[in-house]
Amino acid sequence: MKTSKTISAFLLIAALGAYTQASAETLTIVIEDIDDATGILQVQVMAGQAQFEGEGAVAQFMEPAVAGTLTFTAEDLPPGEYAIRIMHDLNGNGELDTNFVGMPTEPYAFSNNARGSFGPAKWEDARFVVESDVTQVISLNP
Amino acid sequence: MHRRQFTKLLALMACPLPASVLAQSDGENWTEMFAEAVREYPWLAAWGNVEQDRYEADAVVRGNWPEALQGVVYRTGPAQHEIFGYRNRHWFDGNGMVHAWRIDGGGVRHQARLIETLKLQAERAAGRALYSGLSGAPPGQAGLTGPNDVNSGNTSVLFHHDRLLALWEAGSPYEIDAETLETRGIYNFEEPGGGSSMRGAPFSAHPRVDVDGSVWNFGYASAAGLLVFWHIGADGALRKAGRIAVDPMTMPHDFVVTEKHLVILLPPFHFRPAADAMGFLDMHEWRPQDPCRVLVVDKNDFSSHYFLELPAQWIFHFGNAWEDRSGVIRFDGARAPDPSIMTQTFTEIMRGNPDYGRAARHYGYRLDTRARTISEESMLEPGVFTEFPSIDPRVGCRQYRKLVFLSQSEADLAEHGTLNEVNLFDIESGRRDWFRYPDTQIPEEHLYAPRPGSEPESGGWILGTAFDWRRGRHIINLFNAEGIADGPVASAELPYAIPLGLHGKFVTG
Repeated sequence: MKTSKTISAFLLIAALGAYTQASAETLTIVIEDIDDATGILQVQVMAGQAQFEGEGAVAQFMEPAVAGTLTFTAEDLPPGEYAIRIMHDLNGNGELDTNFVGMPTEPYAFSNNARGSFGPAKWEDARFVVESDVTQVISLNP
Repeated sequence: MHRRQFTKLLALMACPLPASVLAQSDGENWTEMFAEAVREYPWLAAWGNVEQDRYEADAVVRGNWPEALQGVVYRTGPAQHEIFGYRNRHWFDGNGMVHAWRIDGGGVRHQARLIETLKLQAERAAGRALYSGLSGAPPGQAGLTGPNDVNSGNTSVLFHHDRLLALWEAGSPYEIDAETLETRGIYNFEEPGGGSSMRGAPFSAHPRVDVDGSVWNFGYASAAGLLVFWHIGADGALRKAGRIAVDPMTMPHDFVVTEKHLVILLPPFHFRPAADAMGFLDMHEWRPQDPCRVLVVDKNDFSSHYFLELPAQWIFHFGNAWEDRSGVIRFDGARAPDPSIMTQTFTEIMRGNPDYGRAARHYGYRLDTRARTISEESMLEPGVFTEFPSIDPRVGCRQYRKLVFLSQSEADLAEHGTLNEVNLFDIESGRRDWFRYPDTQIPEEHLYAPRPGSEPESGGWILGTAFDWRRGRHIINLFNAEGIADGPVASAELPYAIPLGLHGKFVTG
């Protein structure tokens, strides 16, 4: 099953005062290997290292999960460096559940399918350049 | 709302390890170095790479296998040491292979299969080695989301509630089909109320089975600075779990259980991840000037616990423990002065450096739970080095006097320089009887097999496997426990040999 969701980054970016480029690109995010059709898929697109390591996002999506593949589109992105975080909130409690020792027990992923080392992926591994329209294919269960 | 959630995600995930295991590979070709070394020291083949992903054969039996001895020796161990040409930098990093030696009325049949771990499947899909290990890292390594990414199930087994589990040091058990040895996948114990908070929590390789059939275990989560304690009922369901913060964290491998307490030694091998660490061991610092802490936990209330101190020491394995009515705990273990056998010897042997080393001497410990004191004393004469202690399983967590272990004697080392004697030791009388293996064979862990209907620690057998490096054959030997010095009364030989494994259990029936 494929679903497409589109959001414009224009307003979010303009609100942040970051919209200085005349050109605007489209980022397509294809999330594959969604094992479970329950819960909510949360997708967050961050512009730059500071935002990736801090707070906020230039685009956010929150959609009921489907088994298989989900596609999201973020439009009007100014050229620059970005990274994506995804989490699958299986039980819909609004949180990334963790086990007895604090490790996530719900699926999550990053752009470039970057994986961390006992933790989140690093900006260097997750970042990608948007110069023209670009597609990121990310597996939720690598 | 999104922002807060993702911030929480980052906060949770940011506390663990730095990217230190992403240090550069050493770029050396250990596969070639090891192959060269085996030509000079052929016994190193015991640390060679497994040749097949499964084995099955009827063993050629010799001697008198008693009709009364019926059961299965399940074992596991690192076996696949070379992954698409990359040779692991540590013995314990090998992908696990699980074994069944089925003993039935005089016949012995062997099966073995590589454990289909997430790690093995990811490596097979990628066509290369992917992950850093205890030592070293392959070129272009992948990151880790958690310990189960590198869980190889290669350390020991637990047969509990008719379920066979392959265990590793810091991750979840792998469930293995006890008949076919097929891997069923990561196993999660059933939790009260159907919860899932224990999924992925560390379950170490040396659980202890109590007299009521329940199972105690611990696990360590280095990055979180937590020791986890488990109590699994005889029905296979989780009864309770607890957490105790330990700072600095270390790498405890085994623990003991008494009538009232859990006791765990915390050697001063401090978890201090550095940015340029090459593997997990390298994230630890040995500090011999610091004490070995001893954590004593109330079985009935994990929140009730305290720490004692011993001189710095390193222990892989304990034999057993018990507690008398005055609150004095006695236990034993193979005590090394430092962790160099793990940090150096077991890396060097993968490179082909044949100096095995002699590390651990057997010690007895006396822990007074009322006075809160602990003392230690050597149990054997100097020059005798031990490992792989085991007991009659019927006296686990209770008073005991017999120990089975492997040893080597400084004055009479084998050509291969590793453990070469199997012992039955009477703690009360101090009498030690042993059999010295021929130099062409390297013994693995030996286990006490009770004779049906016998009194505990009396009249039983000792079962143990060995790697015959000269003939390229694996064997299993049977000893009468009380006549161990006479050598095996029966044996069975396979048409192949499999790299040295680690621990197992004898399951009667």
